[in-house]
Amino acid sequence: PIQHFPCPPQAPAVNTYYAANLSSASTSSLPVGIPSSSSPRPTTAAAAMLLTKPQLSSSLLASTPLFNPTSNPNHAKPIAASPSPRRRLRISAASTAVSPGATALSRVDVLSEALPFIQRFKGKTVVVKYGGAAMKSPELQSSVIRDLVLLSCVGLRPILVHGGGPEINSWLLRVGVEPQFRNGLRVTDALTMEVVEMVLVGKVNKNLVSLINLAGGTAVGLCGKDARLITARPSPNAAALGFVGEVARVDATVLHPIIASGHIPVIATVAADETGQAYNINADTAAGEIAAAVGAEKLLLLTDVSGILADRNDPGSLVKEIDIAGVRQMVSGGQVAGGMIPKVECCVRALAQGVHTASIIDGRVPHSLLLEILTDEGTGTMITG
Amino acid sequence: MEGVACLVGECGLLLQAVCAVLSRTRGVRSNSSTEILQGLLEMGIRGVTVSDVRGYGAQGGSTERYEGSEFSEDTFIAKVKMEIVVCKEQVEPVIDKIIEKARTGEIGDGKIFLIPVADVVRVRTGERGVHAERMIGGLSDKLPPVITIS
Repeated sequence: PIQHFPCPPQAPAVNTYYAANLSSASTSSLPVGIPSSSSPRPTTAAAAMLLTKPQLSSSLLASTPLFNPTSNPNHAKPIAASPSPRRRLRISAASTAVSPGATALSRVDVLSEALPFIQRFKGKTVVVKYGGAAMKSPELQSSVIRDLVLLSCVGLRPILVHGGGPEINSWLLRVGVEPQFRNGLRVTDALTMEVVEMVLVGKVNKNLVSLINLAGGTAVGLCGKDARLITARPSPNAAALGFVGEVARVDATVLHPIIASGHIPVIATVAADETGQAYNINADTAAGEIAAAVGAEKLLLLTDVSGILADRNDPGSLVKEIDIAGVRQMVSGGQVAGGMIPKVECCVRALAQGVHTASIIDGRVPHSLLLEILTDEGTGTMITG
Repeated sequence: MEGVACLVGECGLLLQAVCAVLSRTRGVRSNSSTEILQGLLEMGIRGVTVSDVRGYGAQGGSTERYEGSEFSEDTFIAKVKMEIVVCKEQVEPVIDKIIEKARTGEIGDGKIFLIPVADVVRVRTGERGVHAERMIGGLSDKLPPVITIS
């Protein structure tokens, strides 16, 4: 099936296409298990396109990246790109046509417009925390994996940190243990900790590694224990919650050769303390500290909400960009509450330690990673230092 | 000579060094110190001395996070020290600007020390005192002139 997204000219919509090889009909609609045999070629194809059509500057891209995920999930994965470094809306000059000639042109246009972003972030490290709905739905999962591989191909250095709550619950039930939560945090006794470690490090982690490999990248699966990447200490409420840990120390030495050689580290946030006792660490927190330790340019947290909303009841009140002082004000003013507070705090901690931007993005939107990194508008809330 | 003696006496009251010791964020891209320097430049402060130092400071038992790891009382962490000599009137705006740019709310934001300066000498011309401290096009040119009653 031809992958086209219908674009009514009056409504701004996001319509772009990957480099020719990636968006070819055969690969796009299949589940991630099918290897993309053309994956080594896109970089040279993209480079060739960029070199041969340097004058393409007409923006045919729409202003808003809002994409309706419920309308036909089998369709193409749109990304929007615009070259201007400031966050302002851009009006689409041309609508995307269905004819093949226009398709090729629009694809090349889009790629050309992504160039400034690629240049800005080339060689920079990006830490992505992966969880929530993006992890549960196969289509969203495949879109995140392909995005990671694409970013790795164009020169960014992604690091994937993941959680895995639902899988843990289902395996606990299989073992005959009832999952317990207190105030939204999992109660982790010794048996639960064993199951958590096995599921996170053994199943979820290796599954993601395999998916990245199939998509054409090369992944290395690690947990906090490997090379003492993360050293844990019991969190203050460990008495009530069991083996829930905080990050005491991060030693990112092992990550440098991995990302330097073009591999993608996939990190499960199970770590040991000084005595070797395993702890489960919240993936958001661990992602923030890992980002600080490697000197990442960006931290991206994939969530199940569209970002920080100025008014909780108004989905249109998305805060696109905010600084540390502003976000602290929102927390103290009660506009940021509940599960968003730990995410915001982990972003602030990462920013205080030198990460340039921390974003909370909507994982339910396909290609949210590309939207956030390669476009002006982004797809969530970006917090700057 | 009486004039010079007066000038030296005035300097002690008029010139202050604002010495800020701040957490040094990651490696080459110490983005927060660049932002602070940008901010100072925008407001007209055109002379700063920046040094890379190490330091620690106990915060009542809480730990400071640097590059993902927690550091407690007696382990050195890399810091950035900025020294700015200004006239007394400019001290508060400079402090406000540094805090505005550098504050994150996390432990490790740093401290500012105000140190009186006895005298300033410009090596090239031999000028001393307030004239030596003043830079053309800087903040003192932007602020309304201060009339001292002597």
